[in-house]
Amino acid sequence: MKMRSVKYLVGEGFSNTWVNRLMTLASVGVLVACMVVIGLALLISENVNKAIGNLEQQNVIMVYMKDYNWALYSDKEQTETNEPAEGEEQPDKNGIRSTDYVIHNDDEAKAFCAEIEKIANVEKAEYVSSETGLETVKKNMLKGQEEYFTFLNDDYGNPLSSAAKVTMTDMSLFDDTIKKIEKLDAVDTIQSQGDLADKITAIKRGITVAGFWIIAILMVISLVIVSNTIRVTMYNRKLEISIMKAVGATNAFVRIPFVVEGMLIGIISAIISEGLLYFCYRVATETISATLGTTDIVKYGDVAIYLLLIFLGIGVVAGILGSVIMIGKYLRKEGSEFAAI
Amino acid sequence: MSNKIYSELPIRRSDVPVIEFRGVSKTYMTGTHALEDVNIKINSGEFVFVVGSSGAGKSTFMKLIMREEKANTGIITVNGYNLTRMPRRQIPMLRRTMGIVFQDFRLIPTMNVFQNVAFAMHVVGASNRDIRREVSKALSKVGLGDKARSMPRELSGGEQQRVGLARALVNSPDLIIADEPTGNVDPNMSYEIVSLLTEINKRGTTILMVTHDHNLVRDFKHRVIMLDSGRIVADNAAGGVAE
Repeated sequence: MKMRSVKYLVGEGFSNTWVNRLMTLASVGVLVACMVVIGLALLISENVNKAIGNLEQQNVIMVYMKDYNWALYSDKEQTETNEPAEGEEQPDKNGIRSTDYVIHNDDEAKAFCAEIEKIANVEKAEYVSSETGLETVKKNMLKGQEEYFTFLNDDYGNPLSSAAKVTMTDMSLFDDTIKKIEKLDAVDTIQSQGDLADKITAIKRGITVAGFWIIAILMVISLVIVSNTIRVTMYNRKLEISIMKAVGATNAFVRIPFVVEGMLIGIISAIISEGLLYFCYRVATETISATLGTTDIVKYGDVAIYLLLIFLGIGVVAGILGSVIMIGKYLRKEGSEFAAI
Repeated sequence: MSNKIYSELPIRRSDVPVIEFRGVSKTYMTGTHALEDVNIKINSGEFVFVVGSSGAGKSTFMKLIMREEKANTGIITVNGYNLTRMPRRQIPMLRRTMGIVFQDFRLIPTMNVFQNVAFAMHVVGASNRDIRREVSKALSKVGLGDKARSMPRELSGGEQQRVGLARALVNSPDLIIADEPTGNVDPNMSYEIVSLLTEINKRGTTILMVTHDHNLVRDFKHRVIMLDSGRIVADNAAGGVAE
């Protein structure tokens, strides 16, 4: 096909979009409705995922280390504190030798945290000294009852060991990751909420599956509706197609303006949907923020470009596929057969 | 009508068949025998009326020439194309060698007169300059030079048919097929349209016209092929009897 023919046909596609503006409007309306519903489903799923993500972040595990406090307070059998042999280390006043525990100082504790971080699926391992741990406990649990627990301020009053506060990337790998951490020498105990992790993983999986199906079904519905709209358009323009064929137009020549028109309808719909969704989402989030007092909602700006790309994808694919599929039926018809459609 | 324009065109007339049917039969899926063993030759430069009652096979005869339908048996040759063995992708090329005029005009309602005629030239990939020149010429030939910007709905039936004729003419085809072109216009306009076709024929273009109008057939002395029950029962080029 000659370049000037292509230019003419693209121009025809643009001009047809305007000439058949009533059908264009109907197609755009249908597509926009479908896209807005798909967009809302995506935004809801994104918000639920964010909320679960926050929950995941809170589900930290504490890995307590075998440090001095562990040696001092643990229930394990103390090493016999007989007289040390010559050259052997003297136990301290609590009867503990440096070989009785693994983590001797802050540097070793931090190095241990770094070691944990190397394990796959560990997002972060933050060092929490026994003193910091005690402060947190006091702040969270003993509020208003501090006078009953003054002994905790004594030199040996802190029963907590140093710990690593570990967060994971994927909670579905929770058990495997815990097993890997447990294998490390300096680990005393691991405090975790395995049940919560399982629940979060199950909810997340459920939302992903439900979201996928909802969006897939909506996309199929969009395609069907768009195809039907295009079918009506084609029906209205079957005369045009029959004339094109009668004067010697090739199938490509007949098809190109319709495809351009379909694409254009898709692009217009995508832009309108993006604007409409932005407006609806803004109103909805403002209302939710005002009512529930939460600000932890996905910002439209963060997902705007992805939504636009999705809308453009849906619009252009629906437009092109709809045109190509529906016009194929008419291209196989000849002359008077058009009247019978 | 300007004869001056026609005088610029070369006259072509020969014994080379533009359309040839050899033992052609067509039976539809429904079992209707539309044509049976049709043998005919239409030479370049001829003007032929095709007449017959409803159901005689006229429409099938025309559809076979335009390759809207395919014959079950026999060989059809049109403008050098063997339609029996023609692949689908070549059909547009065949149609570009002929101009078609329809009874119901078939103008695109959203395009103006100029665009409707120009459309046939866009199909063959003509340049904008050629399109402007040839469309203006074609519209002048049919006496609608001043109606280029009008929309089809603003024209009378006769004028719409003349636009259809201009569209059929614009690519200077060797063959014009007119399927009851006077069926939807008043008697005066019918005479004008056939006169116009006769003028075009005088310049060498082969014309094949289906009609029900016996007055036209009587008044314009051209070759007449009569079909009845799918058979050619009369052909005045062959002595007025069935071949």
